[in-house]
Amino acid sequence: MRPLPSLALLSACVVTALVASHPLSLATLAAALLVLVLRASWRRARLYLLGIVVSSLSLFLIWPLTAHVGSHPLWNGPIVPVIGSIDVTYEELSAGAMQALRLAIVALAFAVWALRLDHDRLVREVRLARRSVLTVALATRLIPTLERDAVGFIEALRGRGVPVRGLRGRARLLAPLVASSLERGLTLAESMEARGYGRRGRPPRSHLGFSWRERLSLAFSLLLTISSLLWL
Amino acid sequence: MALARIENLSFSYPEAATAALREVSLELERGEVVLLLGRSGSGKSTLLRALSGLVPHFHGGRFSGSVVVSGRDTREVLPAALAGDVATLFQDPEDQIIFDSVANEVAFGPENLGASAEQALGRAREALAAVGAEHLLGRATRELSGGELQRVCLAAALALEPDLLLLDEPTSQLDPEGAEAFLALIERLARERGTAVVLSEQRPAHPLAICDRVLFLRDGQLVLDAPRQQALDRLEREEPGFLQALEPARERTGAGEVVCTIKAVTYAYRPGEPVLEDVTLEIRRGEVVGLAGRNGCGKTTLAKLACGLLDIQDGEVELHGCAGYLSQNPGRYVVCERAEEEVALGIGGDLERAHDWLRELGLGGCERRHPRDLSSGERERLGLAAVLAIEPDLLVLDEPTRGVDPDRKRELAELLRAHASERATLLVTHDTGFAAAVCDRVLTLPGAWELSHA
Repeated sequence: MRPLPSLALLSACVVTALVASHPLSLATLAAALLVLVLRASWRRARLYLLGIVVSSLSLFLIWPLTAHVGSHPLWNGPIVPVIGSIDVTYEELSAGAMQALRLAIVALAFAVWALRLDHDRLVREVRLARRSVLTVALATRLIPTLERDAVGFIEALRGRGVPVRGLRGRARLLAPLVASSLERGLTLAESMEARGYGRRGRPPRSHLGFSWRERLSLAFSLLLTISSLLWL
Repeated sequence: MALARIENLSFSYPEAATAALREVSLELERGEVVLLLGRSGSGKSTLLRALSGLVPHFHGGRFSGSVVVSGRDTREVLPAALAGDVATLFQDPEDQIIFDSVANEVAFGPENLGASAEQALGRAREALAAVGAEHLLGRATRELSGGELQRVCLAAALALEPDLLLLDEPTSQLDPEGAEAFLALIERLARERGTAVVLSEQRPAHPLAICDRVLFLRDGQLVLDAPRQQALDRLEREEPGFLQALEPARERTGAGEVVCTIKAVTYAYRPGEPVLEDVTLEIRRGEVVGLAGRNGCGKTTLAKLACGLLDIQDGEVELHGCAGYLSQNPGRYVVCERAEEEVALGIGGDLERAHDWLRELGLGGCERRHPRDLSSGERERLGLAAVLAIEPDLLVLDEPTRGVDPDRKRELAELLRAHASERATLLVTHDTGFAAAVCDRVLTLPGAWELSHA
């Protein structure tokens, strides 16, 4: 499926997470998004999952301590200046769980966006400036390329008995890194021009119509948003 | 009518003292495979760039004569406008990649030509299938090996559906099997699609078997333009170095004490995906040991483990003495402002010894030049001088013949053999001829470790 319908579906999930109040709806949504995240490479997904678990759990723990609602106390804590009484009630716990679930859904939707969507294509499909897309694509590759170059320089130095230690040792690499980056930039520019970049004429036309699956996905996104506003 | 015609082309890069091309004239026909030979710096890459219009539009400089491709004079059209007719594959695939996804990378060219996203993706799919890499469509470019990247870059060029395909040393990073498959593919493209292919190479054995015609450049002049058989006869007489294999090492240096022992080493960059498994190797002083094997089989990893550049995960590595490692990228030896400082860096700033090593490597007179101002061949020798200067007990060379012309390769082989007795040498290479000329034994990864003795 192309990125645009996927983005619509993820946006509908986020709206539902923020609007819906039935725990079962939220739990179902979270489970569906979790499955999508787990279908990405585990090496990349685990970092997102760790972040989601830590942030949601933190919210669940902090919420009852800062909220002051409910008439079914489970624990009576001390009175803390500024915050006030840190009693924990059943209602606070339940509200904390809901907020944590909402945060988890938003974060899972973001993880799906980051892990599964083709961002270059997405920006192209929404027809934003193509040059900006290229700039973003090139900038995204710059950091890993610089990282790889830095490793190469350090290896070459260590390979001739020159240790690279501390900030000063690494600072020595700054100029060669920038210079090699500039050299690479020239080659890349040359390659882009040879592949027709900057050619005069009409810009690439927009995509053809959506497939039935993509139409279905767009319709479902709309339905999910309306349902969450009205019933969930 | 010829697909491309060059008439009296002369070209000098801005601020260059000598011309890169001088009075070059030639014609290219559809469906022919043309092999372009010449020493480093003879003007091969410049000629390819002239055919794609990058010379003079991208580089500037002094240009005279004319280049007409598909009926269009390159002085009057920009390289981007020629992209549908001409496609170029540059030397280093790493430096040509723009996008993170293979599909976007290959579709980039067709989109520039005005194809819709769907059409471009369709052409990307076809081009990847043509190079036997359809399975890479959904992959990220950062995860691909050098050989895979090379195929993706070729697919990106083919997706432009060019009439003229220009390839600048396309097999320099491929293992022999990969290179053979790549060249077979090029031949098929030329025969089936009628694409004219100009192929610049430093390892001419395989390309000579498939080409129709050979061009030879010497100091920017086209000194040979002949059909294959005729060209072979002339090269045999005038440039035998390009045809003859290096002579295998005749004398083995007596193996001395053990310098490096690798015992049951296993190494993985990702959990559960070992690159090396249970590898054992011993290298003695006086020995030159070659490491061969397919792209991605762990040769460089083993070499780095041997000289302590990677931490051991499983197994043992014992090194008696110091190790020197020559990276396969000469661009890594440009940290200082002068060539002499670059070499002296590893020997406590001893400029006298640095000068000796620069002279030994034929770089006398370059002492005060900036390493970035040196040619690619000179940079390679500078890197070697910087590593040899530390007089390592174990010298590890990672693909030292990549992009090196036959004459320089011969010089390097002689140098390594001449100093072989002073140290243990581990040579990572795809170049079987060079390995046979230099190594006492060659180990092939993976599988049965010790396959042959030169």
